[in-house]
Amino acid sequence: MSENIKLFDTSRCTGCRGCQLACKQWNNLPAKQTVNWGSYQNPPTLQSNTYLIMRFQEKADANSVKWFFRHEACMHCTDAACVKACPTGALYYSEFKTVGKNIEKCIGCKDCVAACPFEVPKYDSGANKVLKCDMCESRIANKLEPACVKACPTGALKWGEKETMLKIANERVKELGGDAHVYGPQYVGGTHLAYILQEKDAVYAGLKIDPKVPLSVIAWKDWLKPLSLIAGGGVVVGSLLHYILHGPKRPDADVGQDNPAEGGK
Amino acid sequence: MPEKGMIKVTDGFERIVHWMLAGSCILLFITGLGMMYRELNFIGNLMGGLVALKYVHNFTGLLFIVSLVLAARMWWHEAGKFSMPEDLEWMMCAGGYLWHVEKVPEIGKYNPGQKMFFLTVIGCGALMGVTGLVMWFPVGLSLGFVRWMYPLHALGFVVFFAFFFVHLYLGTIGNPGTVMAMIDGWATKAWAKKQHPKWLKEMEESGKLEVYGEETKEAASH
Ligand code: HEM
Repeated sequence: MSENIKLFDTSRCTGCRGCQLACKQWNNLPAKQTVNWGSYQNPPTLQSNTYLIMRFQEKADANSVKWFFRHEACMHCTDAACVKACPTGALYYSEFKTVGKNIEKCIGCKDCVAACPFEVPKYDSGANKVLKCDMCESRIANKLEPACVKACPTGALKWGEKETMLKIANERVKELGGDAHVYGPQYVGGTHLAYILQEKDAVYAGLKIDPKVPLSVIAWKDWLKPLSLIAGGGVVVGSLLHYILHGPKRPDADVGQDNPAEGGK
Repeated sequence: MPEKGMIKVTDGFERIVHWMLAGSCILLFITGLGMMYRELNFIGNLMGGLVALKYVHNFTGLLFIVSLVLAARMWWHEAGKFSMPEDLEWMMCAGGYLWHVEKVPEIGKYNPGQKMFFLTVIGCGALMGVTGLVMWFPVGLSLGFVRWMYPLHALGFVVFFAFFFVHLYLGTIGNPGTVMAMIDGWATKAWAKKQHPKWLKEMEESGKLEVYGEETKEAASH
């Protein structure tokens, strides 16, 4: 299976939110009542019933107002902290190298919520499940593009073979000039959602700067997890060797009581 | 069954608390391993799935915390404080466990190794309880903080799991006769003389020693 990625070009996005709506529709995620917090960005962050949001940012200077739009969803890391953390295999690497989810297997433990460097997975207390974008696995498995890409009217979202997409991205960055750059392939083994950003990373609200698999997850799963069995096994072997080589500590035979070697039996 | 002349080394409350602590701890090991290793996920099947296994783990954790508090209060006096110089001398010769020692220094009810085990259980147990509760209810806490609870919980497990086998060995075949201290509470005098000589002397001198088939001196004087 060829490795595909989703490419989002900030310079082509008009903030229409077609992608957000298409996502809700395809995944059957009716909206909940939200509050007006003075932004078009609604809801304010990803939620268990919103796998994808359009981030809206206004930047005003003396006589102009600038808009920044950012399509935010699961980044589908190649080296995914959530997959490492998931105790049941509910989160897994799909045959397309995206991070799939098997809802049946999810036990609502929230380990992935704490592990994700992008703060993507969200817990639904009603269902006791954690939910996130699965890159429309049922669609891509049938050679369709993800619902959000399908809905995009401007070509800001593209879905295609990884190398081709990255080539397009690099060319577009040259065209745009200035601070324009690609965000994604250089992190966590390469993300399967890549951005063409016109401005520096720090300009975008909520964008993670230099995201990594958290050290805590590495210490937990790569170091301590194997160490627990090694140390336990070492002690068991050591104890048996001790018994054979040094021998147990028996009560001395010359002390008053009968049957000393049998101790309390 | 105790025989005439055997001595009482633990009371019923001590044994109940010990087995509450040990039982909850071992169940936590089993259910915890069922979550730590995907290969051991099948342990969940025995309990009706991994969701149930997680409930068993979390609620057993509560029982563990209660047992831990009881154990800490109960044994603090005997196992929480080192008594010098004999404990240091005992440690210098590793209690005679590792090489041949002519005369092992006489120590009280618990030897320094047992005291270290006790203190490790209390320390790591508290760590397990706190980190476990945060992971169970991570609401309102910063992500950076919650994240570190996982490796700390795993670190506590590494220590607990290793120490458990040391304890299991030393409490059973490594020290014949010892296991009865936690089963019916009766041991031979020879065992006590070997394992806890100073305690035996103190008990005999104070007349508190309970000997099977005899009345304690204290009781007799009433
Ligand atoms: C099947 C497993 C176990 C067996 C056979 C066992 C056996 C024993 C025995 C015989 C003693 C008394 C030692 C003496 O009086 O010299 C003891 C004490 C003790 N046990 Fe266990 N135990 C087991 C599991 C555990 C576990 C899992 C824990 C901890 C969570 C634990 C914590 C303690 C503590 C704190 C003491 C007090 C004295 C000391 O520090 O050694 N035990 N155990």
